[in-house]
Amino acid sequence: MNKAELKAVTGVLDKGMNRQLLYYLDVCTRCSICKDACHQYVSTGDVLFLPAYRAELIRRVYKKYFTRSGLFLPSLYEGREVDDRLLDELYRSTYACTGCRRCMYYCPFSIDTTWLLGVAKAMLIAAGRGAQILTELAGAAIAKGENIDLFKDIMLDLNKETEKELQSLVNDPTAAIPIEKEGADILYAALAGVHSILPPAVIFHKAGLNWTLSLFESSNYGYFLGDAEKGRIIAKRIVDEATRLKVKEVVISECGHAYRVMQYLYETWANEKLPFRVTAMVEIIARLIREGHVEIPSGKERKLVTYHDPCQVGRNAGFYDEPRYVLSQVASNLRELTPNREKNWCCGGGGGLVAQPEFDEFRIKTGERKAEQIKQTRAGLVVSPCENCRLQIAALNEKYDLDIKVTGLSDVVANQLIGRDIATSFEAGQAEEPESED
Amino acid sequence: MNWLSFLLAGVLVYVAVVAFLVGTAFRIYYWLKVPRSGIKLGIFPQTHGRRRFVQWIKDTFLFPQVLDVDRPMWLFVILLHIGGVAAFVGHLRLIQEFTPLANALGKEGMEQFSLISGGIVGIVLLVSVLYLIARRFKSPYRDISTPEDYFLLILVFMVLLLGNHLRFFGQVDVEAYRAYVHSLLTFSPEFPAELAESGTRWVLVTHVTFSNLLLIYLPFSKLVHYIGTYAVNLMRSEAR
Ligand code: SF4
Ligand code: SF4
Repeated sequence: MNKAELKAVTGVLDKGMNRQLLYYLDVCTRCSICKDACHQYVSTGDVLFLPAYRAELIRRVYKKYFTRSGLFLPSLYEGREVDDRLLDELYRSTYACTGCRRCMYYCPFSIDTTWLLGVAKAMLIAAGRGAQILTELAGAAIAKGENIDLFKDIMLDLNKETEKELQSLVNDPTAAIPIEKEGADILYAALAGVHSILPPAVIFHKAGLNWTLSLFESSNYGYFLGDAEKGRIIAKRIVDEATRLKVKEVVISECGHAYRVMQYLYETWANEKLPFRVTAMVEIIARLIREGHVEIPSGKERKLVTYHDPCQVGRNAGFYDEPRYVLSQVASNLRELTPNREKNWCCGGGGGLVAQPEFDEFRIKTGERKAEQIKQTRAGLVVSPCENCRLQIAALNEKYDLDIKVTGLSDVVANQLIGRDIATSFEAGQAEEPESED
Repeated sequence: MNWLSFLLAGVLVYVAVVAFLVGTAFRIYYWLKVPRSGIKLGIFPQTHGRRRFVQWIKDTFLFPQVLDVDRPMWLFVILLHIGGVAAFVGHLRLIQEFTPLANALGKEGMEQFSLISGGIVGIVLLVSVLYLIARRFKSPYRDISTPEDYFLLILVFMVLLLGNHLRFFGQVDVEAYRAYVHSLLTFSPEFPAELAESGTRWVLVTHVTFSNLLLIYLPFSKLVHYIGTYAVNLMRSEAR
C-alpha cells in the first residue's frame, strides 16, 4: 500500500471521527462479556467474530496512527499498521456482522459495535475493498433513481397485472394500486416483488386508505455496504417522491433496515428534516386494527404460531407489542421463542448477508441458534416482519429440517381479511389458481 | 525520610494526584471537543424522563443484563468495584478518624472493626483481581487482550498485595500512618519515627508508588471508563 492509499484509509478515522465513536474507542475494557451475545461468535468460536475483537481491529489502527500513547508505545496497545492482512481481517469480521446490536444490549458499557464497524466499512471502501455485490446492487438502485423514466412504463404495466390480482383477491373490480397519486395520504415503499405489494394492498384497500405505491423499493444496499452517501441517494429517491406527491406519511414495507435508514439515519445523512412521518408496516397494521379501520373476521387461526422479532424491528426500533397485538387478533395460539424481544437472537441473515453468496455457508452455520429456538416451539408457522429474516429462516428451514412455513405479518392479516388460510403465500399469478392448503 | 522515600511516597503522590485530575479533565475536554453525530444510537425498549434516569443508573452501576451471559464475571466485577470504593472510604480514616464510629466502638473496638472490615475488603479485592488475571490468560480472552490489559491488572494486583501486607503483617500503629498522611496534606511529607525505623516502611513506599502509577495512568488507559461509562450508558437510551 502506498502512502496516498494509506492516507485515504486512515483519513477515514480522522474525518469520520465523532463523539460517539471516540467514547466507544476509549471506553471498551476488552472484558469480552459481549462474546456470548453474538450468534456468530457463539456458533463459530472464531475470535474474529467476537464483537469486541471486530471493534478492536479499528481501535488498534486508531491507537497506532492517532494517539500519542500509541505513537510512543504501540506495543502496549498492539497498535496495528494498515496492511493487507489487517484489511482482510477487517473485511471478514465487518461485512459478516448482521448489525443486530445484540452485543450492545449485553455490553456493560452499551458499546454499539456496529457504530465502530460503520467506520471499518468506510475504511474498506476507501481501500477499494467495499463488498462487491453490495456495491453493484447499490449502484443499480442509484441508476434506477436517475433513469426512472426508462423504468416507469414497464413498472406501470406490471402494476396493472398486480392490480388485477388484487381485484380478484378482494373480489372488487374497483380495487386499485395507485402509483404517483398526488395528494395521497400515504406513500407505501415496498420491496421488489408482488409478495411485498399485495398483502399491504389488500389491507389498505379494506381500510379504505388514500394511498399510493412508491416507484422505488425500500431496501437500501448503500446502507449495508456502509456507504452513507450512496445510502442517502438511494433513500432520497423515496423522500423526493413523497415530497413531490405531498404525502403525510411514508410507510416502509416489512423490511427492518429500510425502516432504520428512513427513521433514524436519513435526516443526519442528508442534513434535512423529513416533511412526512415515517411508519413501519407493523405499526400501521396495528393502528388500523386498533382504530377499527380494518375488521378481522372472527374465527381465529388455531395452529401453533411463533413470532421472530427482527433485530431492526425490535431491539433497534422498539416494535415489540404491535406485532404481538396484531398476531393475537389473527391467531389464538402464539408461542414465544426463548429468549425473545430485546434478547432475541439474530436470525443470522441481516446486514445484507442474504444478498452475498460468499457468506451463504457462514450464515447457515451461524443461524443454528435461531433454528434451535424455532424447533423448541414446535410451531409450524413463523411470522416475521422482515424480508431478510424470512429469507434466512426459510434457508434454515431447509438446512435444519424445521418443517415450517415462514411468512410476514401483513400476509397473515391480508389472508385473514380475504378468508384464506393465514399461511398462504402471495405470489404472482396465484389469484387465478388458488393454491390448495393442507 | 530518605531521598528515595521522599521522591516516591512524597513528591510522586502530588504528581499523581495532579496527573489524575488534569488527565481526567483533559479526557473530558477532548471528548466534548469532537462533534457528535446526529444519529441516535439508543436501543429499545426505551425509557423517558425519570424512568430513563433510573435506567441509566442501573445500567451504569449494575448492568443486570450481564447476569444472563456471564455470572461469575458479573460477580467479580461488582465485588471489585464495591471493594474499591470501600477501600477508598477506609483510607479516609487516615485523614480523619470516623469519630462517631470510634466513640461507639471504643479505641480497641475500632481497631478490631477496621482490621476485620479492611481485611475482608482486601481479600475480596485480591481474589477478584486474581480472577480477572486468570481469565485473561484463557482463550478467547487472551486473543483479544493487549499488554495494556495485563499491565493494568498487575498494577492493581501489586497495590492490593502490598496493601494487604500492610494490613496483615504491618507492625505499625494506625497513628503512624495518620501522621504520614497528615504530613502529605500539609505539603511536608515525612515519616514519623515509628514508621521510619520499621521494616514496614518499604512495603508502604512500594504500596504508595504502585498506587501513584495507577493513578497517573488511569485517565489515559482503558480504565477511563470511570468517567466514560456515564456517557456511553446514557447513549443506550437515547431516543430520536
Ligand atoms: S462487552 Fe463491551 S466493554 Fe466488554 S469487550 Fe465487549 S464491547 Fe468491550
Ligand atoms: S451486531 Fe450482532 S452480529 Fe454484529 S457483532 Fe454484534 S452481536 Fe455480532
